[in-house]
Amino acid sequence: MEISVPVRKTVVLEPFIKLVRTVARVFYDNYTTVSDNQQKSARTESRGTAVVVLDALTRRQWVREEDLAKDLRVNAKQLRKILRHFEEQKMVMRYERKETAKRAKMYSVAVSATTDGRAEDNVKLHTHSYCCLDYQQMYDIVRYKLDRIKKKLKSELEDKNTVQEYGCPNCKRKYNALDALRLISMEDDSFHCENCNSELVVECNKLTSKEVVDGGDNAKSQQQEKLKLLLQNAEVRLEPLMELINRVKDLPVPNCEAFPAWEARAAKAARENGDLNPNDPSRSQGGYGSTLMPFLGETKVEVNLGEGKEDVKSEGGDPSQKVLPPWMIKQGMNLTAEQRGDMRQEEKVDGVSGGGAELSDDKKSAMGNGDDKDLKDEYLKAYYAALLEQQALAEKANQQESAGDTELATTSSDRQVGVKSKREEEDEEDEIWEEQVPAADGDFQVDLNVEANEEDEDDGIDWQEDSLLNTD
Amino acid sequence: MFFHIVLERNMQLHPRFFGRNLRENLVSKLMKDVEGTCSGRHGFVVAITGIETIGKGLIRDGTGFVTFPVKYQCVVFRPFKGEILEAVVTLVNKMGFFAEAGPVQIFVSKHLIPDDMEFQTGDMPNYTTSDGSVKIQKECEVRLKIIGTRVDATEIFCVGTIKDDFLGVINDPAAS
Repeated sequence: MEISVPVRKTVVLEPFIKLVRTVARVFYDNYTTVSDNQQKSARTESRGTAVVVLDALTRRQWVREEDLAKDLRVNAKQLRKILRHFEEQKMVMRYERKETAKRAKMYSVAVSATTDGRAEDNVKLHTHSYCCLDYQQMYDIVRYKLDRIKKKLKSELEDKNTVQEYGCPNCKRKYNALDALRLISMEDDSFHCENCNSELVVECNKLTSKEVVDGGDNAKSQQQEKLKLLLQNAEVRLEPLMELINRVKDLPVPNCEAFPAWEARAAKAARENGDLNPNDPSRSQGGYGSTLMPFLGETKVEVNLGEGKEDVKSEGGDPSQKVLPPWMIKQGMNLTAEQRGDMRQEEKVDGVSGGGAELSDDKKSAMGNGDDKDLKDEYLKAYYAALLEQQALAEKANQQESAGDTELATTSSDRQVGVKSKREEEDEEDEIWEEQVPAADGDFQVDLNVEANEEDEDDGIDWQEDSLLNTD
Repeated sequence: MFFHIVLERNMQLHPRFFGRNLRENLVSKLMKDVEGTCSGRHGFVVAITGIETIGKGLIRDGTGFVTFPVKYQCVVFRPFKGEILEAVVTLVNKMGFFAEAGPVQIFVSKHLIPDDMEFQTGDMPNYTTSDGSVKIQKECEVRLKIIGTRVDATEIFCVGTIKDDFLGVINDPAAS
């Protein structure tokens, strides 16, 4: 555990994913790839695709766009358009390169051990692009966006400190109040265009002023009210987003490396554990990466391999199948829904040791050596019962913290022993790991199989969550 | 805002001024040349308050003119965004009104005049509140805030607002 092992996937904390989802729904719900002058029906059709795409991307890391399109069952062209838009919006990183058809095939088809594709007779190059969410930049962008929205609304509301603009109805030339001295004509009181000498009209591109000009004072005050309401509404609606932003602020941003780096890592990881799930996308990439890699520096590979060897030695298993150590489990980690619900409780009760320790306990019970396990369970049950009583007495605010602290100290110490001894057994398991994160509340009996079946979505999910737990 | 700064200028003096009054001539010519001008960088030169140094003159070939580098202290006035100024209204029309604060021209557009003031046409176009208690017309003094400046090489023009607390008419000569 002490060695930093190469992993296929960086941990993406759950709030970040939630942030992406919220942002997608708040800002891109109405985004369509169809321009305004096209059919309205077409517009409604493509509506919401952007949200789906963003959601899908939270479940993947680097993914080839064709594959994404296939997974989502959307038109590749449309998807590309959306992704380009997101790239412009700095939400998504994209990477394009030319590949031979052979390689492309190697990416898409999960080639298992047949990675000896050195025969590069097919040299036809296709451009393939890959995309990935850029969490760091997205966080900044969202903050910037919110700031701009607020500023705009505020300035609209106050309607001051703005330089009035004028436009010529004839030649469409624009002026502003700073040109006033040149524009004023001596014959009448109004401003005249320098080009065509026609009278200028007040330009109003603001939300408010349009009706103000039409309606006079009454309309103006009404408009003010409307704006105030708008501002309030906006604040209310953006509240969840703001909360998320605040929450994410202190969390480490999932680091997203560039595509070549990621690919190299993924390839290496896949190579090391050759017996991995053949449908795993990273697996296919492993095959792909172990062929010629034009972007991979020699030294880089060697360093990685060295690390990998160490890893093998110390772990005796494949690096990707590691238990998430207890100190890795942080607030806001991405775990499945029921796991999370229970996890919360457990973490309260069990403190830091929650993740790893529970995991091993579940494991144990599932594997049938439950003798001393039962004892432990009994002990723990009694212990928690006592604690709960104690908590009930304590004051609400202090209660949780203090209780959590004490338990943390006691339980973690006596549970840790079990953890260590169980590690090897776990590593030999071929099951998908994310399903085994603690799901018990009071007692720790979990039916692993039931849970494992629940999550049968596309392999993007498996892959991600799988590697979540493998991350070091 | 006013600044007291030191500026430098090369003065060309005609040979006929050479004599014992050369310095006085030079200074008076400097004042005539510089005071009241406007540079985008420093603003309006209001007054020369003193001469720092007058360098060695250089006789120009062919003409006999002599060029003196002169360093002088002067008061300059440069308006800034956000500055509060008192100004005299010079022109009122339906688009707003123009005012002058010393050498600076300021335009206040209609939407930067408080909403309760209405434009009244007539012999003396003005902006009046509905109860008639406040009236902005030519010659009256207003306090305004500058919200934008246009600085050219030789000209400064400002846009102001009176739509804020404590801004507006401060003295109306017609009323008194």
